[in-house]
Amino acid sequence: MSRIEDDLDDKGDDRRGGKGGRGGGGGGMNRRKVCRFCAETTTLIDYKNPQLLRSFVTDRGKMVPRRISGSCAKHQRAISVAVRRARMLALLPITVGGE
Amino acid sequence: MARLQSLRDAPGTSREYETVYILRPNTANDGVAEINTKVKGIIEGMGGKILKVDNWGKRRLAYEVAKERKGIYLYWRYLATAGVVEETERNLRMLDLVIRFMTVRLDESINPEARPTEIDDASYERAATTAADEEDLFLSRGDAAPAGDDDDEYENPVAEAPIGQEN
Repeated sequence: MSRIEDDLDDKGDDRRGGKGGRGGGGGGMNRRKVCRFCAETTTLIDYKNPQLLRSFVTDRGKMVPRRISGSCAKHQRAISVAVRRARMLALLPITVGGE
Repeated sequence: MARLQSLRDAPGTSREYETVYILRPNTANDGVAEINTKVKGIIEGMGGKILKVDNWGKRRLAYEVAKERKGIYLYWRYLATAGVVEETERNLRMLDLVIRFMTVRLDESINPEARPTEIDDASYERAATTAADEEDLFLSRGDAAPAGDDDDEYENPVAEAPIGQEN
């Protein structure tokens, strides 16, 4: 874990150098997110569990991109299938529009 | 209905499917039972084996379906061969009480004898009884999801303390 972070730190330095005077704008840059489903293998991605899937859609009902949620490619695919199935069964909204 | 068997499956095996269908919220228990009997008849009549029947109760729909805001969810898991899903869905489509249905294939090439069934006579009765209409029923399901576990995924990166410069 620490090794990865060190590695990341190095990269972060480069970027920060490039950013120059933007003053701490890249504060969250160095946080490596770990795919939740890789971390806890007991949690299964299932369209029948809208509670779980809700954390992978925005308030507007759109899917959260990998770069935000930190999911790995494999699990992001599974999430996207599950979300689409849950939308079909009206367990998740397709879109949350304005009034 | 003569239908060409899929060559993908090993002979003598079947596929595992699950079907969820949504009924109109004002469907009485009799009506639910009637539809369940029909579905059961189709699956078993075509050589399928039912593994599980479940009534998820009356839930709020995330959006309006067929002018309804709520629906009764029925969940079936069964082993079947090609054509059973088609026939089941054809029948569901004809029923006016069914407002939405979906079938998902879970597994294939499985030996029907090797799968235990959770079904007894009482499960059909239970599946026909819709629990009282409580809005939080919707929230109380999904017990597998530990709430509040994913908070850190939504933190605003900018809100974090800036990392000290190394040079």
